[in-house]
Amino acid sequence: MTAQPQEVRCKGLGVSEGVVIGQVMRLHDGTPQVYRWRIASTGLEAERQRFRAAVDLARERVQATKAYAEERLGRDHAYIFDAHLLMLDDERVSGDIEREITVGHANAEWAVKVVGDRLLSLYSEIKDDYLRARVSDVEDVMQRLLVALSGARDEPRDLSEDAVIVAQDLLPSAVAELDLRHARALATDSGGWTSHTAILARGIGIPAVVGLRDFYRRAKTGDRIIVDSNRNEVILHPSEATLDVYQEETAQPLKPGPATGLQARSELLTTDGVEIILRANVEVPSEFAGVAKYGARGVGLYRSEFLLAHRGVFVSEDVQRAAYEEIAKLAGDDGAVVRLFDLGAATLREGTAQFPEPEKNPALGLRAIRFSLRNEEIMRTQVRAILLAAKTGRLQIVLPMVADLSDVRRARAIVHDEATKLAKAGRDFAEVKVGAMIEVPAAVLMSESIARAVDFFELGTNDLVQYTLAVDRGNDEVADWFRTLHPAVLHSIERSLSAARTAGIPAIVCGEMASTPAYAVLLIGLGATELSMTPSAIPRVRGVLAGVSAEDARAIARDCLSCSTADDVEDLVRERFTALWPDLFPSASLPAPRLSQNRER
Amino acid sequence: MIARQVLVKARLGLHARAAARLVRVASGFQSRVVLRRADGGAAAPVGATSDQGVDAKSILSVLMLAATCGTQLEVRAEGIDEDAAINAIDELFAESFGETGQGSAK
Repeated sequence: MTAQPQEVRCKGLGVSEGVVIGQVMRLHDGTPQVYRWRIASTGLEAERQRFRAAVDLARERVQATKAYAEERLGRDHAYIFDAHLLMLDDERVSGDIEREITVGHANAEWAVKVVGDRLLSLYSEIKDDYLRARVSDVEDVMQRLLVALSGARDEPRDLSEDAVIVAQDLLPSAVAELDLRHARALATDSGGWTSHTAILARGIGIPAVVGLRDFYRRAKTGDRIIVDSNRNEVILHPSEATLDVYQEETAQPLKPGPATGLQARSELLTTDGVEIILRANVEVPSEFAGVAKYGARGVGLYRSEFLLAHRGVFVSEDVQRAAYEEIAKLAGDDGAVVRLFDLGAATLREGTAQFPEPEKNPALGLRAIRFSLRNEEIMRTQVRAILLAAKTGRLQIVLPMVADLSDVRRARAIVHDEATKLAKAGRDFAEVKVGAMIEVPAAVLMSESIARAVDFFELGTNDLVQYTLAVDRGNDEVADWFRTLHPAVLHSIERSLSAARTAGIPAIVCGEMASTPAYAVLLIGLGATELSMTPSAIPRVRGVLAGVSAEDARAIARDCLSCSTADDVEDLVRERFTALWPDLFPSASLPAPRLSQNRER
Repeated sequence: MIARQVLVKARLGLHARAAARLVRVASGFQSRVVLRRADGGAAAPVGATSDQGVDAKSILSVLMLAATCGTQLEVRAEGIDEDAAINAIDELFAESFGETGQGSAK
């Protein structure tokens, strides 16, 4: 027997790309140890003074966080700290806390905890999802007070070189303050695809696994950990054997050295001379820098719904226009594609308050283009803002989740109508091209006719996999049925790309699939020449695509299309890729063989 | 003392941003300003708010109203500037906390 702790593997949801070996850095416990002691009558005034001083200190720190968040994440992320400031000044709280000190002869920490817990339990009973979520803000403010009282600085932000942040959940201020440039990876107990943690991890291009349930409890600061976002897994106390496997994988020169923007922007050709264009998917401002840094050819997908986070669905024309102008500028000559709001319960969880009856089946509900067509004023405002912004740079519109020509026609009529009105009003605007997202099976089956009515296609592979296979990607119970390489998915992609080719319009494949090198090769084989992905994935995909021939990729894709199951496709990919490109695809970079499905939790 | 009924039209209800604005505006007046759900507080946790209503200058109390879109509230103001206070708050609700820009929800 050795003292070596047992290797523990936990399954979660990988919400970004990559693998990191590092050291655990636990963050924001959420339940700091607070002890009670009795304050003598003569010390009560001093204790109240101590509390007030802590409020002042906490206020200063919130103000600093707010400024920092405004700068790094944009004003929309920062406004929540306004509410935090008001909470600190809220007499309901400070009054209760001081009363607790006076009447209960309690130390200030204890008083804060008692009053805070009382508030939290009241809030957690609120029935409305969005308002109930304010619990995390109350928690955040109470924690600030406790930290200020302890005389400690805020959480240690000096991260070691290989720090992996492990937390139950990341509170808004923790996310805003962390110097995430130094965090190598994130692992949290709660959260999903659209959580703050996930968005940030994708934005800065670090691996993250969320939804790990009780992982935080098991991990101690300093523990060795592997975060494998690609396989939806974290490994605590990895064994020597596991470490060997991963060290080999992470040491593989899969990632070419950080290319400068200029080099990376040069033409990308496969070995047989097919030009491939790599664009960037962006959402939050922290991702914007990556567009130039990783040499993206413009923005292939701007997820505009980020504009609405925390704001409700009415955002003024001016605010939107400024945002789209920024995107156009960022994208430069290669242009940017703005996806109309893809609103739905999943994207705008906080918006559920506006639909008194929660939808039973939001993924199949009133979302994306359906939402926009139903709420025409919201759509018109957005379209107008894009048309106006297009005057300053190259912008295009893509319609999310269309099912057939009627969605396309109605949407195009609105775009046309708004352009006519702007012209009449004598305002400065530019016409924009309008494309269709192909992401539901109906659109795939109708792709030939849709292709003749739009200027371009975008293939949203995430939704396409989910809707084609009828598998919820967020549901762990059916994770084994979520197979990106399912033959049905490949046929859908092939058909849509071929419809675009026949109609003579461009097609961009966006979605997670494009950012995984092995999948990207397959997409080229299926006929794609334009891919759009999270900026940090570009160098990796670029490095691989420059080393393969499109002809070989086509041959493999053809064979994949005749497979009957996802297992067969994966076996074939593994076999052929390893044989053809052993240097580009070490076995760890390919879909792992399906072993028995006993997973450890 | 004067009272007036207002309707929450903000899409996300009296959410953090709207509540923050409301508290800032209410705090600018000397009068005591109280908010009460006109529907008896169905969505609010039991015991969170009394029938007397909550202090509009306290953000935690305002959030505790759990006033979602469509909630009717009664605003009461009492003090030397009660008219101005109630008008200012009425206006906030009427313009839906500056959220819309394109008219109210259908």
